Amino acid sequence: MTPQTPVNKTDAAPKAQSKDTRNTGPGRLLIAVYAVFAISATARAGYQILTKFNEAPLAYLLSAFAALVYVVATISLARPGRTWFKVSVAAVLVELIGVVVVGALSIFDSVNFPHETVWSLFGRGYAFVPLLLPILGLVWLYRRRPSVNSPSAGSRSA
Amino acid sequence: MDAYFYIILAVGLLSTIVCAVAGIMNKAPNDATILSVAAVELALLVYLVGSIVRVSSGEQMAGEPWEFWGYLITALILPVGAVYWSILERTRWSNFVLAAVGVTALVMAARMNQIWY
Repeated sequence: MTPQTPVNKTDAAPKAQSKDTRNTGPGRLLIAVYAVFAISATARAGYQILTKFNEAPLAYLLSAFAALVYVVATISLARPGRTWFKVSVAAVLVELIGVVVVGALSIFDSVNFPHETVWSLFGRGYAFVPLLLPILGLVWLYRRRPSVNSPSAGSRSA
Repeated sequence: MDAYFYIILAVGLLSTIVCAVAGIMNKAPNDATILSVAAVELALLVYLVGSIVRVSSGEQMAGEPWEFWGYLITALILPVGAVYWSILERTRWSNFVLAAVGVTALVMAARMNQIWY
């Protein structure tokens, strides 16, 4: 039960070894597109909830949830470090599940999901970018995942 | 769709093509790409001034005014933010970020037209 030095070591190691490259190059394009979606989804959800929430509370709460996911994804993609990487993966996965589930529900249960959200009909209202974005995001995050044990892998540029 | 939309459609598409081609050719943001985005900003400013004139001369828009102005102000911020960002990292990828501005602006202009009429 004595405090062990390896604990501190593992804490400091990622900072020293991992040169984060998620928020440069193609990552910037990804962040930019996510930012646009975060802004537009937030504005749309805010507008729907403030003006016509009673028409379809479920759909508009979903809109708000989608907006939150985009905001979290944008911020976490732009931040360096291992924790933000995990947040990114979680946010992008939630986004992928959300667009698939809501997309399917909007087709098969159109009675309960008649109102538009970002994810309705797999994001058709947004040229299917909401469906494409999480897939590209996961590919990108996988390619730039923080290395587990080899320090040299952390600084490779490809 | 009014003239403002078609101006932004033309300028936005042109800007997107210029920036995307520059990105594909592996160039960092240069005068051509940044000026093309500046042209998008100018087109949006024309829309802003025109809309202020129309509203102050008593014209009523069909949709929610604050939704219209929200779109317009957001659209005006995008080119500035993208150019600032492209200066921070001068790689081909910043040109793709710049390329996104034109398309986004024209989608938003289409939406603004829908709100107005």
